[in-house]
Amino acid sequence: MHLFHTFIVRRLAQERLRTATTILGVALGIAVVIAIQLTNASSVRGFETALDTMAGRTSVEIAGSGSGIDETVLPALGWLRDYGRVSPVVEGDMAAIVGEGRTEAMRVLGIDILRDTGIRDYALLGAQGAQGAQGAQGAQGAQGAQGAQGAQGAQGAQGAQGAQSAQGAQGAQGAQGAQGAQGAPVTTAQFLELLTSPQSIVIAETFARRHGLGVGSELRLVSGDRVQAFVIRGLLGDEGPARVLDGNFVLMDIAAAQLAFQRLGRLNRIDVRLHDGLDIAEVLPAIAARMPDGLTAQRPARRGEQVERMLAAFHMNLTALSWIALIVGLFLVYNTITISVVARREEIGTLRALGVTRRQVLALFLGEAAALGTAGAALGLGLARLLADGAVALTASTVSTLYVATAAVPPALDWGHALLAVAIGLPLSLAAAAVPALEAAGVPPTAAIRGGDTLETRFRLRPRLLVWPALLLGLAAWLATLGPVGRVPLFGYLSSFAIIAGASLLVPAIIFGLVRASRGLLRRALGVEGLLAHANLASAIPRLSISVAALAVALSMMVAIAVMIGSFRDTVTYWVGQTLQADLFISPGMRATPGVEQSMSAEVIAVVADHPDVAAVDTFRNTEITYQDQLVMLGAGNFEVVLSHGSLLFKSPADGRGALRSALGDDAVVVSEAFANKYAVRDGETVSLPTPAGPRPFRVAAVYYDYSTDRGVVVMDRGTFVRHYGDLPPTGLTAYVRDGADPEAVRASLLEGLDEGHRVFIYTNSRLRAEVLRIFDSTFAITYALEIIAVFVAMLGVAGTLLTLVIERRRDLSLLRLVGADRRQVRRMVVIEAGLIGAVSQAIGLAVGLALSLVLIYVINVQSFGWTIQFHLPVLFLVQATIAVIVATAISGIYPARRAADMGTVREE
Amino acid sequence: MAFVAAIACLTMATAAAQGPATEWRQAQAGYTFEFPRDHAAHPEFKIEWWYYTGNLDAADGRRFGYQVTFFRVGIDPAPANPSRWAVRDLYMTHVAVSDPAGRRYRYAERLNRGGPGIAGAATDRYHVWNDDWTASLAPDGRHVVRLLEDGLGVDLTLDEGRPPTINGRGGISQKGAAAGNASHYYSLTRMPTRGTITLDGEVIAVTGQSWMDREFGTSFLEPDQQGWDWFALQLADGSDLMIYQLRRGDGSRDPHSSGTLTRADGRVVTLRAADFTLTPTGPVFRSPTSGATYPIGWRIAIPAEQIVLTVTTPLDAQELNTAESTGVTYWEGLVDVTGEARGRPAMGRGYLEMTGYAGSMGRVLSGEG
Repeated sequence: MHLFHTFIVRRLAQERLRTATTILGVALGIAVVIAIQLTNASSVRGFETALDTMAGRTSVEIAGSGSGIDETVLPALGWLRDYGRVSPVVEGDMAAIVGEGRTEAMRVLGIDILRDTGIRDYALLGAQGAQGAQGAQGAQGAQGAQGAQGAQGAQGAQGAQGAQSAQGAQGAQGAQGAQGAQGAPVTTAQFLELLTSPQSIVIAETFARRHGLGVGSELRLVSGDRVQAFVIRGLLGDEGPARVLDGNFVLMDIAAAQLAFQRLGRLNRIDVRLHDGLDIAEVLPAIAARMPDGLTAQRPARRGEQVERMLAAFHMNLTALSWIALIVGLFLVYNTITISVVARREEIGTLRALGVTRRQVLALFLGEAAALGTAGAALGLGLARLLADGAVALTASTVSTLYVATAAVPPALDWGHALLAVAIGLPLSLAAAAVPALEAAGVPPTAAIRGGDTLETRFRLRPRLLVWPALLLGLAAWLATLGPVGRVPLFGYLSSFAIIAGASLLVPAIIFGLVRASRGLLRRALGVEGLLAHANLASAIPRLSISVAALAVALSMMVAIAVMIGSFRDTVTYWVGQTLQADLFISPGMRATPGVEQSMSAEVIAVVADHPDVAAVDTFRNTEITYQDQLVMLGAGNFEVVLSHGSLLFKSPADGRGALRSALGDDAVVVSEAFANKYAVRDGETVSLPTPAGPRPFRVAAVYYDYSTDRGVVVMDRGTFVRHYGDLPPTGLTAYVRDGADPEAVRASLLEGLDEGHRVFIYTNSRLRAEVLRIFDSTFAITYALEIIAVFVAMLGVAGTLLTLVIERRRDLSLLRLVGADRRQVRRMVVIEAGLIGAVSQAIGLAVGLALSLVLIYVINVQSFGWTIQFHLPVLFLVQATIAVIVATAISGIYPARRAADMGTVREE
Repeated sequence: MAFVAAIACLTMATAAAQGPATEWRQAQAGYTFEFPRDHAAHPEFKIEWWYYTGNLDAADGRRFGYQVTFFRVGIDPAPANPSRWAVRDLYMTHVAVSDPAGRRYRYAERLNRGGPGIAGAATDRYHVWNDDWTASLAPDGRHVVRLLEDGLGVDLTLDEGRPPTINGRGGISQKGAAAGNASHYYSLTRMPTRGTITLDGEVIAVTGQSWMDREFGTSFLEPDQQGWDWFALQLADGSDLMIYQLRRGDGSRDPHSSGTLTRADGRVVTLRAADFTLTPTGPVFRSPTSGATYPIGWRIAIPAEQIVLTVTTPLDAQELNTAESTGVTYWEGLVDVTGEARGRPAMGRGYLEMTGYAGSMGRVLSGEG
């Protein structure tokens, strides 16, 4: 231990900068992996936490299909009472207007409080009128109902309260709140009374406090395209569903919620809390078996699982990306231990001469790696939290735009993550250090005397060096032809790793080749320093290969992703141009999120349709349904309009329009490419979709291209939809303006024409296209962020490698200085070396990256998301990236260059 | 009179109910009853109930009592919200079974809005329900009362027995000084009953006599009326007595207390407050749950009818604590009667209801709410 302290720890302390970079590199690698884990968990956990919070003690929930549940089925479900408490639920999201133009998303729960108690807990803190009519008077006190109040006050014990109500909302609040909390507990009947008016709401006290609201205050909520004013009749303590989304919770009576959501006659679900002693595993099948057509019984957690599955592909890709940074980080450990071994070769020899065994030497250096790995893990854990915050910020909007409405929960680290960090950091660091540590153990005692560095420096191109890469690349090509496992492109990922591994092994040969080819060029371009740099690199190929491979791997991933995203963006741009045909796109002012319906009201549709410059209006409705236990989108649009405007791009059959025409009036659908790929469905086949009347077969008329979501979309004609799901309000509309009319002007005039009670978003065609690309870009922001971290770690590696080389060559460098090279020239030489490493790495990165991009586009993307991307090379980006990489690596060479320049002044013993 | 306890919900305040509370029809003199039409719902009135009590005997000699009440309380005669869930009425139902020998008293309660057919009362025929609890008139003219939950319940078929007794005068039973503070009130005082009761899961075949009270109106008590003591007694000589007193906040007796004596021959005598006295005889039941003290022994004196009766109960603990639904606590249970009527020994069975001992009833039952 003492030896470890003097030999390793002191050294690490002396070499503060190198130690710091290594730890930082490992830490970043581990941090990225854990951050992505946290981020992935947070989006699912956000959903699940909200789900749990809202579910309360619900053990079984009854769900409908597409349009929810027709409430008239309830009496026929009376037998559910034998199993437990039954509470019908209307749930959704609204936006609270909390300031000038500012809104906050609210989770709204509409229940029949008489049936809901026992399922969910509500801690009513302040309530108005919990005792009787006086409450309502209080709310209206300001409006002058004084007489009535007086009269009621005189009626009994309520008098005092009535009088207080008259004093204004504030005074009444305190007094009545106290009564609600400390007096007789509020009965469910009294609770109900709070809610019976369609304008009454009870909100979470935390939200009220944040926004200075109290009992009696007005709160305006946006539901769909409607802005409605509500009166806060009570406040809820931080318990039960009031905790959801940090208190952004509104409790309504089920009747009020139906009205506010425009869902008269429909329920979102029916929650059942089983009687004590009933085992859900036994009871659920029995309940499920008795369900009428169109209804399913499931555990509430099922929705969480479905969401988790829906996000799986998205998460898998992020996870795969996150490992790149870690792998690159491990190259750093290799580097550092190598430096450590090289720099202290003589000392190792001395130790050996003093009787230290090989085993002990090995342990010393593995100990160093372990120390670095552990420190990296510890730091990485802290960094992970920071990175995760950033990653959550980057992915949250993607997840909620494309997948599911979720308030990402702030990522929480736990002991499991600490364990994971060490479990990743320690063994991988040891593995990375194994080669140099063995090398150190092999140092003979004579090294102390002989001095000098006898580590292998010469490179010979042996056939063996070409066989493995060839085999791996061949394997990669074969793997790329295999199908997915389940819905995971496992072989695609393996193919990518094979490409990376093969290319990494090929790096020495490539450097060798490039070095040979570039000698003359370098001399001409960069003079004697260039030539020297070249010679240095040529003599250190084995040492260099690791760093170059690390950097090249990071760069190749960047190139691959850039090519993939560039191609994707190009494809989407084309698709948008082909399919976004309408002039105006109108959506509810409360932005719809997948799974949470926001509807358009008849008034707004009328305002748009009646506008003199609007030639035609088309409505559509998006609904979430389950298909093979996965969440998919069900769209309903007017096929006539699609036919006349050609707003779908068909993949198959060849005559897509004809197929669409045939679907009119028939039980037929068109499905998105993602749907067709995911569920292996082709046009002409039949899919069974859940409808309120039970599963029904629908013919797949055609497959169309869709890049809006990878969840899979099924579209049917409005007529077909109404026949099966009922005449439900649309969730959006599109409008075509009269020839010659300016869409911008029509948009402005429509917005002006809407009254205060309505709020919509209107995009003109060009704005929507921009919006689509904005969403697209934000979706891939996280991808770039991950890549930049990996490249940064690789740069640290280059600096470290150069440092090693410099240390290894300290005698050469002294010699150079002796023969007349000045500090500046030495510095320049090392910086050129760095730049050359960057250039070589980028060259390899480009080649490997292109290969990887093909796998990404044609294998991984197709298998995970199910869409066709047209290959497109983002030339400009690649040129910029190449220059940036060379400059950045050159910069990373500055510190080693300084050290090298200093090295020359070290006097030879 | 019956079980007015659940009227706590009378005070339901809806914005809509504030102004146009007069939309509810007031009970006015001159009402003509018609049967079985009046068994069906009267949604134009704010409050109505269907109330059954009975003393039943099992084949093994055990004796039981039961009480079933279906309550409708109007909240908003015309809700602005078109949703089926909009609360026009609330339906409360209580069922209680007493077993004096086993010292058991069990009850269950339900509170629901009408919603999409969850609870309701038909207007075209006698059929009231609260989830799967029902009371209705079968085609053969019998009442069928079925309520069962968690090992407690009744499943009874009742003959109407003698014709309905109309309580009060001129078709109304006046409850307070103000003109509208009254109800339409009739009783089926002696209904031969058979069926089963379920107590702690045990299903017991029973026969006996039931009493049905039916009352509808819009406003009942006045703020100063603290509660009431109400009796429904079936005497062995064939006469049936309904009698109650309203107690004021200061302990005095309200002048609107009244009663109805239905003689064995069917003749009906309406009793005014001045015609009778109701006096506690001493024994009390102190409720460990509510803390209320109930006088459970009574002396009834009707001098003009030469009736003096002593009422006792074989089971002290018959208090309902309806915190789950109405928040009102009251005592309602089977009683025995002994005494003298017109010089002859009298005996019988019946039910006693006492309210306002655990808080004022008038406060919550007054006005339009």
